[in-house]
Amino acid sequence: MTEHGSPARRATAAAGHARLLLFSSARTAVGTGALDWPVPAQGTPVRELLDELSRAHPALVAILAHSRIFHDGVPVFRLDERVRAGDEVAVHPPYGGG
Amino acid sequence: MSVRLSSRPLVPSAAYRELEDPTLGGVVLFAGRVRADPTESGTVRALLYETHRGPALRVMEELETEVKRRFGAGRAVVWHRVGRVRVGEIAVIVGAACGHREPAFEATRYLIEQLKRTVPVWKEARARPVRPRPRRRLRRRARSTG
Repeated sequence: MTEHGSPARRATAAAGHARLLLFSSARTAVGTGALDWPVPAQGTPVRELLDELSRAHPALVAILAHSRIFHDGVPVFRLDERVRAGDEVAVHPPYGGG
Repeated sequence: MSVRLSSRPLVPSAAYRELEDPTLGGVVLFAGRVRADPTESGTVRALLYETHRGPALRVMEELETEVKRRFGAGRAVVWHRVGRVRVGEIAVIVGAACGHREPAFEATRYLIEQLKRTVPVWKEARARPVRPRPRRRLRRRARSTG
């Protein structure tokens, strides 16, 4: 996981990418736990980012329907929230601790 | 107050020490261990726990604050293992120290139920494959019963 202001995160931002973190079944559907996703300079709404990701990985569609989304470590309640280069978006399928 | 996400074994006596306070008479600790459950691919021998650390720690801290407010807990522990946890090992410890036993039981129950529902932790079973029975033995048995 990258931290705010970390060298890895600054590099992701400089390359015009957001960092996507995928856990549990979302990771299995995409085949990796983390990937850099290109975002336009003005940013892109969370909804569009997830739509693009779903088009690239159709197995993710059913999982996203039951997942919580975090933007920079904070739960997303509005899917029109904009994701910019260097931001981190995480997909949380239903939890199963304990 | 104590919150922990650790790849090292969780020790109940250490959790109990976190709850020590001479003004708190009711202390309840809950430990959840990995079970050797049967699965389609064999018996579980370990669980692999993963977490999104930042949000997980934040939610665990909120749970501590919540049991203090709702149940008057003076102290609480919310500990979870991450990484590979073998059968018989403790995966989670929660507990609360209150003035009396009743709120301590309620607070601890609340902690484990909320932890399972709201803390970003996921587990994946690692099973021991079921071994097929040796052929020779099956043949001998077939002869003896035929």
